[in-house]
Amino acid sequence: MLKRFRVVNEAFPETPEILEHKREGNKVFGWLCTYIPEEVMHAAGILPIRITGYSKETELEDGNAYLYINNCSFSRSCFQMGIRGEYSFLDGVVGGSTCDGARRLFDLWRYYIKTPFHHVLTVPRKQTQKAHELYYDQVRQFKQHLEEFLGVQITDESLRHSIEIYNESRALLGRLYELRKRPEPPITGAETMEVLNASFRMPKELFNQWLRELLDELAETRNTHKGRARLMVVGSVMNNPEFIQSIEEQGGLVVTDELCTSTRYWSDPVVLDEGMTLLEAISKRYLNGFPCARMVPSEERFNRILGLARDFKVDGAISEIIRYCVPYAHDLPLLKDRLKAAGIPTLALDVEYGTSGSGQIQTRVQAFLEMLEAKGK
Amino acid sequence: MIGSEKRSNKISAIIRACRLIMRMNQSRPEARKSELLYYKMLDGYYSRLLNARENGKPIAAHTVFFPSEILYAMDIIPMHTETTTWMMSLFLSNQAEILSAGAELGLASEICSAHRGLAGAFSLGALPRPDVMLWSNLICDNTAKSGELITEINDCPGFYLDHPFQHSRAEERYLIGELESLIRFLEEKTGRKMDWDRLSEIVARMDQQIELCREISELRKAVPSPVNIRGYLQLLTVDYLCPGQPEAIEYLEALRQELAGIVHEGKGAVSPERFRLMSLFVPPIYLIPFLDSLEQEYGAVTVAEPLFTRWAAGRLDPAKPLESVAMKFSLIPERCSMYGPLDERTLKDVAQCAREYKVDGAVYWAFIGCRHTCAAMRMFKDALNEIDVPMLTVDCDIVDPTVNSKEEIRGKLVQFFELLEDR
Repeated sequence: MLKRFRVVNEAFPETPEILEHKREGNKVFGWLCTYIPEEVMHAAGILPIRITGYSKETELEDGNAYLYINNCSFSRSCFQMGIRGEYSFLDGVVGGSTCDGARRLFDLWRYYIKTPFHHVLTVPRKQTQKAHELYYDQVRQFKQHLEEFLGVQITDESLRHSIEIYNESRALLGRLYELRKRPEPPITGAETMEVLNASFRMPKELFNQWLRELLDELAETRNTHKGRARLMVVGSVMNNPEFIQSIEEQGGLVVTDELCTSTRYWSDPVVLDEGMTLLEAISKRYLNGFPCARMVPSEERFNRILGLARDFKVDGAISEIIRYCVPYAHDLPLLKDRLKAAGIPTLALDVEYGTSGSGQIQTRVQAFLEMLEAKGK
Repeated sequence: MIGSEKRSNKISAIIRACRLIMRMNQSRPEARKSELLYYKMLDGYYSRLLNARENGKPIAAHTVFFPSEILYAMDIIPMHTETTTWMMSLFLSNQAEILSAGAELGLASEICSAHRGLAGAFSLGALPRPDVMLWSNLICDNTAKSGELITEINDCPGFYLDHPFQHSRAEERYLIGELESLIRFLEEKTGRKMDWDRLSEIVARMDQQIELCREISELRKAVPSPVNIRGYLQLLTVDYLCPGQPEAIEYLEALRQELAGIVHEGKGAVSPERFRLMSLFVPPIYLIPFLDSLEQEYGAVTVAEPLFTRWAAGRLDPAKPLESVAMKFSLIPERCSMYGPLDERTLKDVAQCAREYKVDGAVYWAFIGCRHTCAAMRMFKDALNEIDVPMLTVDCDIVDPTVNSKEEIRGKLVQFFELLEDR
């Protein structure tokens, strides 16, 4: 079952599923950050996919030439793929004022790549009531812009249907993560990342079907995994299974994470409270969910990381921060202190997006695992 | 623990440097009155900070573009964090000490050096311990994320002011709400009450201050142009440190009068004026004396900084003080150009500015710690190329001299001047 997800990822961006969606006369939009509400696009008949960069370390000549060397390699990698036409099938691109790298990626994408539809949302950095009202207004404007561009009306019925589909996906991914709490999980961290990558690269309906089948298979499997230590990965955007694999090949078992491509992507369903419109419920979920390091104060993020560490019985944390990913870099000293107070050592790695775990990283992981083993004795 | 003796040292040292420059200026008959007033303003600002405790006044440390008009109206002593890092690098050359202290805190080298140095300076006890820390997302991730560590280092309460990204009505309301929350926070934490009459007076002076800046910008269109690169940075500092303060008005009025006289006499900041430059972003602060002399040597003068000194059209209304404080953000050049979506409007404005000021070439100071400005570089370069204005990129750091040597920077600039000469 896992192979199907891997095939999607290997073919991305031009996967058979995306091309099929286009052939049927439908639109495909790319989104740049997890603060962009996918359900609104889905309810308009759009296939929303996450724009990601190269899945391996690559020379970023065009990325450097446009975004300069001091923007994160994620932004530069995504932009390079865009300017080289690898996302030419996109009908729209949606960004947010989420971090400097993402907002400038959007600016340059709009100016140089000229995807037909573009929209940027103001995303507050607070989780107050007033911030929620502002973000709701932004989501409302986004919906209106989509309706004008597509010449359709996004009805409550279609929104409700999209919420159900996306919530089901979140619930299924939650079940997958529950399996990772076991002492000997039936799935590795690298395999989980293959599943997660596919989740934002294909129609959700089909993904949910595949994931249900995978969960059935995992329920029966006797093939389980045990590591020298149970690890959590925290930090910048990262969706390279090879990186996780390089950790796991040395005996560390990655059992959870707080990445925006993983836990932060699927956590927190849209909750339909009484007296709240569907759009309000969607906007509340996106702004008030598991926070990115961009949010202020950081305490909510730290608390949720500590919660994950407890729930998944984590022995150590690996912080991977892409160079020039400033929000996470600012949080790191504070997060390390809190993890240390909870008895969880942290290995801090400076990486580039797409890294598969070079020799130096392997050496450091190896030393970290030895330290954790010594600590555990 | 923060050592009290060490604490006062850096501020005292900045004050001593300002006073030394004032004495030197006083002994030079040709020294401009505005120069004297500028350093008097700095002296006053840092003396108030140094003596705040003695005078029973609370100190609020705040990041760049924080509305310190509100602090002045509440009789709270502001400490502009980035500018204070700049001043330390300019006057004291102690970058290595504070940057290494920042690294010891665990701050990565990719983080803006002004913020790393600042955290380092606080951890060393080199700056006064603030009673409150205030910060915002204007203008980047570094400003948005630098406050929490500083509140922990100083064990003081903090307030984060969230700026909207665009300009809808809902966003305007949100910003006003944020300012109201800020005032409530300050009243609660410092015991000071907002003096609305005082805020109105400050807003009235701020409006006058912006008008003076616009007039000075107009005078800089003259050929030859009357302001050098040091003057540009002084103009920035006035708004950063003393928005709506009498000493800012006094300085700017003196400067405007002097510049009008210089323009009338057909004199310029450099003689002869050979190259008119547009400066994009901020040059290394610690190299200002060197860049001054380079300008003189090559007859190259900085005439315009569209991202920093080109105030947008609009007036502040003292009858609506809080709304005016909010509105000021839509006039601030950096807010208009570098925060919010970067679109054709900004690019056209930069090109228009180049034409209005008869610019020969542009210099983009690619501050390695400033990601959002560097990411815009290509767009500005292409926009200027369309009107045949070449742009030079100089890799640098505002306060850290290890990023690029003086000789390298000189070499790049001289090559650029030769290119301009050949055109």
